[in-house]
Amino acid sequence: MNAAAQIALQNAVNGLLIGGTYATVAVGFSLVWGTLNVVNIAHGALVMLGAYVTYWLFSLYHIDPLLALPLTGAALFALGYPLQRFVINQVIRASFLITFLLTFGLDLLITNLALAAWTADIRSVTTSYSGWSLTAGPLALPVVRIASLGIAVLAAALLHLLMTGTRLGSAIRATASDLEAARLMGIPVAHVYALTFALAAATAGIAGGLISLSFPIYPAMGAGYTLVAFVVCVLGGLGSVPGALAGGLVLGLLQTYAAWWLGPNFDNIVAFSVLILVLLVRPAGLFGRARRFRG
Amino acid sequence: MSRQAPRRPVTAGAILAAAALAAAVAIPVFAGTYYVRVITGIFMFGMLASGWNLIGGYTGYPDFGAAAFIGIGAYTTGILMLHAHLPFAPALVGGGILSIGAAAAMGSVLLRLRGHYFAIASLGFMIVLQQLAANLDITGGGSGMNLPVARSFTTFYYWTLAALVLAVTAGFALPRSRVGYAIAAIRENQDAAQVLGIAPLPYKILAYAASAFFFGIAGGIYAYWFTFIDPPTVFNVDFTIQAIVMTLFGGPGTALGPLAGAVILKSLDVLLTNISVFFHNVFFGALVCLLVIFAPRGLAEIVRARGGLIEAIRADLRESRI
Amino acid sequence: MPLLEGRGLTKLFGRLVAVDHVDLAVGPGEIVGLIGPNGAGKTTLVNLITGLEPPTDGAVTFDGHALRGLQPPAIARLGLARTFQIAQPFRTMTVRQNVAVPALFRADPAPGVAAALREADAVLEIVGLGPKRDLPARALTTPDLRRLELAKALALRPRLMLLDEVMAGLTPAEVDAAMEMLRRVNARGIALLVIEHVLRAVMGLSHRVVVLHHGRKIAEGAPAQVTAAPEVIRAYLGTDHGAGPESAPP
Repeated sequence: MNAAAQIALQNAVNGLLIGGTYATVAVGFSLVWGTLNVVNIAHGALVMLGAYVTYWLFSLYHIDPLLALPLTGAALFALGYPLQRFVINQVIRASFLITFLLTFGLDLLITNLALAAWTADIRSVTTSYSGWSLTAGPLALPVVRIASLGIAVLAAALLHLLMTGTRLGSAIRATASDLEAARLMGIPVAHVYALTFALAAATAGIAGGLISLSFPIYPAMGAGYTLVAFVVCVLGGLGSVPGALAGGLVLGLLQTYAAWWLGPNFDNIVAFSVLILVLLVRPAGLFGRARRFRG
Repeated sequence: MSRQAPRRPVTAGAILAAAALAAAVAIPVFAGTYYVRVITGIFMFGMLASGWNLIGGYTGYPDFGAAAFIGIGAYTTGILMLHAHLPFAPALVGGGILSIGAAAAMGSVLLRLRGHYFAIASLGFMIVLQQLAANLDITGGGSGMNLPVARSFTTFYYWTLAALVLAVTAGFALPRSRVGYAIAAIRENQDAAQVLGIAPLPYKILAYAASAFFFGIAGGIYAYWFTFIDPPTVFNVDFTIQAIVMTLFGGPGTALGPLAGAVILKSLDVLLTNISVFFHNVFFGALVCLLVIFAPRGLAEIVRARGGLIEAIRADLRESRI
Repeated sequence: MPLLEGRGLTKLFGRLVAVDHVDLAVGPGEIVGLIGPNGAGKTTLVNLITGLEPPTDGAVTFDGHALRGLQPPAIARLGLARTFQIAQPFRTMTVRQNVAVPALFRADPAPGVAAALREADAVLEIVGLGPKRDLPARALTTPDLRRLELAKALALRPRLMLLDEVMAGLTPAEVDAAMEMLRRVNARGIALLVIEHVLRAVMGLSHRVVVLHHGRKIAEGAPAQVTAAPEVIRAYLGTDHGAGPESAPP
């Protein structure tokens, strides 16, 4: 295979691998947006917290980052539940600007408290296998990224199962579909909302853990991932797990190719342009809009 | 004998405003440099908040990317002064005009979006401009741009004051004008506005461009004042957040609310930042959260509620909580 | 020459036929009633006419102008006004200001905000909302909101008004008052297309009645004729009964 084709293919592989991580970042964001109708600006900050939790578990207790993922998820779950239950629930029926601003404020708080606690020093997680790479012909497949993609797909599948196959999933979908009707049917909606957000936070934490293996960790890292989550949701349609997966992969591919053609500093421009184009041309996204979370 | 037409009484408000303006004009004569700078900063945010209110409060389109126009204004002023050797005044106005143009162009696309989509897309616009500015040569790329040094500070004071007066006047004039009625109708119920003969997009663009003008002017003033600009400094969401919080705090959709919010919050901010920059961010973050939960309609509501304040807060919460 | 003419109007939502090749005409100054069981497609038909939904097929002309492809503001400016089933007031604006909006944005607008507000006052007198003119619209009761909708439509100086279930939920006395108000409006030369379930009102007001069922027009004619027609009775009750739509609950 000639050199150009090789690079193109490698870029495709890189794009898909990063896309898997994007999907994990986005799926929780999509869940909250589709169910609670809240655009959580602080989502990226939760990803950042997941990365830090993984980092501290690794550097203080030497727990392998991949093995620590359930712990990271649990930690963010524990943070997310009260955040939704006692803070966000207070304004959830108000206009979208209000909830938007609240999550904006939370993002500011979380990011700056992290900055105060851990300084802006860039951290990273380097394990024994961080540099390993599988070779498939001319292509290099970093082990860590493959693991990320695999776990992303696994997490998405689990979430999908939860949403479609369990009572909790039905309760969440019912509440998303019609709040008042769900309440009248005896569903404890405040609790369901809190569980939904906690689940989303857990997936954000897991995404952060995966990210920590390949990317630098610093308090301000969240903003970029919030934008990614938003673009993926717009691409993949709201409230759809397969959509989030597809959207993530597409965005990953687009950004990787754009970086190759235009240079490395154009990733935000690409994300934003894609966003605008999709919103104008096909506002329902690639997979159509589901007003209720399909799972 | 002729009958005189009834004269409209000069209201107490107008007298107060004239007095305040006179006082403001006189301040640099009496106050020291430090205070003049602080007050200029307050005026600048008063102008930003009042400007933001035009699109965010009156029209109901919360522009989270307004700082994009600060950047456009800053860089335009810088480029015109550095490369075209223009004096500050025309360069500043040039920045304002370019902001209007950019807003009209971008707005015709962005303002078709609603709600969350508009908010994030407008933010994305700012992020993209930041990245563009970092990649172009004419802006000095990532290293930024140095403007000529200003000779006296009071220029900034008076420019900012003039722009502030303009912004507040716009805030007064808009809701009473025909355009204002269209904008209010669009904010309240865009579909109903349409079946009553209002084509929404041109009016939204008008409000967006007016807001962009003020942000552009602020950018130009900022650039010449601080002499050095680079992409993350001027394309900075912090400006937007402050403008939004000040507007929210003072009362969105009122003429004086944003200014009141700016005066109070900026003064507090100056006090806190003297202690630490960390406090600035945590302060605004916490303030946003508290405000949004307990006083979503801002000070204006609190002032009106007076005695029944607790009850008003409880009523708001009852409506918004689950 | 009819003022409003819809020919072959059709609307498909996927495979659901909401409106099926309906011809509808309203002459200048005429009052036409549009009735049919729930789900018959009445509101969809109105949306097609006023431009809120694009028709899958068919065409509408108003005052000689083709309406296809026109946006709602343009249609409003041609002189076609409508009210909504669920009232759509501008909640934080006062009643007066609500009515001033159409006065400012119709084809031949009032020459300024002050003039528009004065005109709004006059219109509010007609609908009986004068005393409430300075209240914020969100403070109004449902019947008053209906009156406000009517006032806003009037302020548009339309030649035809589409009234979408303005009588729903009104007491019989309120229905009588509303009918009287609509007669006064019609007396000014404004044609009315009245979509209603309150059959007493439709029968009492209309010069002509059109019946829709499953998206199709099944009958048209003078009120008495239409209510006695067997197809209409079947549509409302499902089988041949002696009773017809006039015995349906008001």
